[in-house]
Amino acid sequence: MTGVVRPSRRSLLTGGMALGASLALPGCAYIRDDAPTDAPLPPSAKAEIDGDLIYFNWADYLAPKVVKGFQEEYGVKVIESNFDSMEGMYAKLAAGNQYDIVFPIAKWVVKLRREGKLRAIDPAQLQNAEQVFYPGSYFNEPWYDAGSQVSVPFTVYKTGIGWRTDKVSSMTGSWDDLWNDEARGHVFTLDDQDEALAMAALLLGYDVNTAKASELEEIKKLLISQKEYLRAYSSDDINNLVGGDAWVHHMWSGDFLYMKDGVAEDPTKFDFQAPSEGVPINSDAYAIPANAQHPGTAMVFIDYLLRPENAIKNMGYLYYPFPVRDALPAFAELTADAPACNVEISDLENENVFRLLGADEVQRRAAVWTEVKAS
Amino acid sequence: MAVSAQPRSAQRTSLWGWLLAVPSGWMAAFFVSSIVIVVLLSFGRTTNDGFPAFATSTANYRALWNEVYLELFVRSFLYALAAVVISVLIAYPVAYTIARHGGRYKNALVAAIVVPFFASYLIRMYAWKALLSDDGAVNSGLRSSGLSDGVTFLNTPWAVIGGLVYGYVVFMILPIYASLERLDLSLIEAGKDLYHGPVRTFFSVTVPATRPALFGGVLLVFLPAFGDFVTAQLLGGASTYMIGNLVQQQFMEGQNWPLGSAMTVALMVALAVLMVVYLRATSTQARES
Repeated sequence: MTGVVRPSRRSLLTGGMALGASLALPGCAYIRDDAPTDAPLPPSAKAEIDGDLIYFNWADYLAPKVVKGFQEEYGVKVIESNFDSMEGMYAKLAAGNQYDIVFPIAKWVVKLRREGKLRAIDPAQLQNAEQVFYPGSYFNEPWYDAGSQVSVPFTVYKTGIGWRTDKVSSMTGSWDDLWNDEARGHVFTLDDQDEALAMAALLLGYDVNTAKASELEEIKKLLISQKEYLRAYSSDDINNLVGGDAWVHHMWSGDFLYMKDGVAEDPTKFDFQAPSEGVPINSDAYAIPANAQHPGTAMVFIDYLLRPENAIKNMGYLYYPFPVRDALPAFAELTADAPACNVEISDLENENVFRLLGADEVQRRAAVWTEVKAS
Repeated sequence: MAVSAQPRSAQRTSLWGWLLAVPSGWMAAFFVSSIVIVVLLSFGRTTNDGFPAFATSTANYRALWNEVYLELFVRSFLYALAAVVISVLIAYPVAYTIARHGGRYKNALVAAIVVPFFASYLIRMYAWKALLSDDGAVNSGLRSSGLSDGVTFLNTPWAVIGGLVYGYVVFMILPIYASLERLDLSLIEAGKDLYHGPVRTFFSVTVPATRPALFGGVLLVFLPAFGDFVTAQLLGGASTYMIGNLVQQQFMEGQNWPLGSAMTVALMVALAVLMVVYLRATSTQARES
């Protein structure tokens, strides 16, 4: 399997968006006020095929055989477009491009819903709805979508630390391990504003979304103190570990599993920990834009993806867990060698989720992150 | 005849006018207008929902007065300068060899240099990672040959400079090649008669004759290298952040397009000043020679 390393979606996010930025961000779409709206949601469509599916997702983010199976079973075409950042996805939607299904990260569900850009999804229309919306399910009332009105959960994942067991023997199960002496010069922190600040915030006992000046100042000092241990800030976690540059890497659980299971020549050399101070948990969702032309097909597609057998196929491809009830045991099996990569639904109930912040808060956080990287 | 010449030249002028309309319109619509938007936005603000909005604030420009930014400017300048110097050292021999000794393989050799640049810049940087990582092909080779225990190539300033050279050296090779290719051989022969010896001939005849191309190449490499951010992002280390990374961050994670625009405008002005100084110096030099 070596040599066919699929770079992590998020490393493309930072690298790829760089090149795609000029295309992904049509300036005029941004310079307008997409103000919050109280208008009622466009009603849910019935789960009935009403045309080909115009699909808008990260590249390579569903198992191709699952998508192919949908086309064969329902006799429709899946017309695929890709985004390489949430900002890029948002800009295209804001510019009026029409897609039938999109895959926003949780906090972007908040933003899209607030601006009236999503259509309601009625679970009663979905035969497999009870796989995610069973009684007592976290997703009946997720933090990002009150009443679960516009989204259906897609994946969940956490951020932790991957490391080389043959190089480092003094891991302590804390975020402090990113300051490990044995790995000095071989430590990587994710090149991601939210993740980097969250890691330091957790170590200091603060909220992962903090925008308080005094707390940010402490976070800045802490992150700058890490520089003498650091090799680089990078989100290309898979390649950095496999290439031997990283011995201790701040990384995403799904990337770790993919690397260990699908890429590494000797998987026993790698392990993953979810630090005891708590870890950021994030989730992606399915959503149907308000201006979708074929919302019926999109409903059928979501229903199809919720079938446990399809969720299992997708998880075996993406290595990120799907919160589909009857598929979770299969994921636990996938994580048998690295149980810390497993995400329990109960993990979602902690407070370490990345919320949608006000622009002033984002800018304060960004200023700190800039100073850390530039110093 | 003299009578009919008059309308024909008038016709030609109007034809040229029409032909110019298309590129002028294009430039006005997509080049000038986008710069105008950037300039206007540099006086703008960000709404609480994170949207950039036009305004008349100078806060973004005042925010530029930051030691850290100056440091990044100097660092980017030095990296770009190093990339230019190395590019010249690589480009001259390569261009000279192809132009003078390429024979019937000239075109094939030029193609061999150009073709790799059809591949995405990102892909080529990833390839460098695969080659130069601690356990990569180059280090494995060094170890098995016993030459070294391994060298840390990646995530260093040299990796960034190397990436910049690899990314842009072709813009140095091509103009120098074109100018050497056109160089009259009899000039070199005359130089040999005059100066006795290939080295003096090279520096007194060949180099001055290709100076304009060299000056052009310097600009073509320096400007994109200075503003580059992908290379530092993929090959750089914890302390190789460049000015391009800073600007890019404002537009993405930082959610601060107005500040990013002010940085862009300031950078354009600074580079324009540098360029004018450079062009004046080089044109005087070219005239003197």
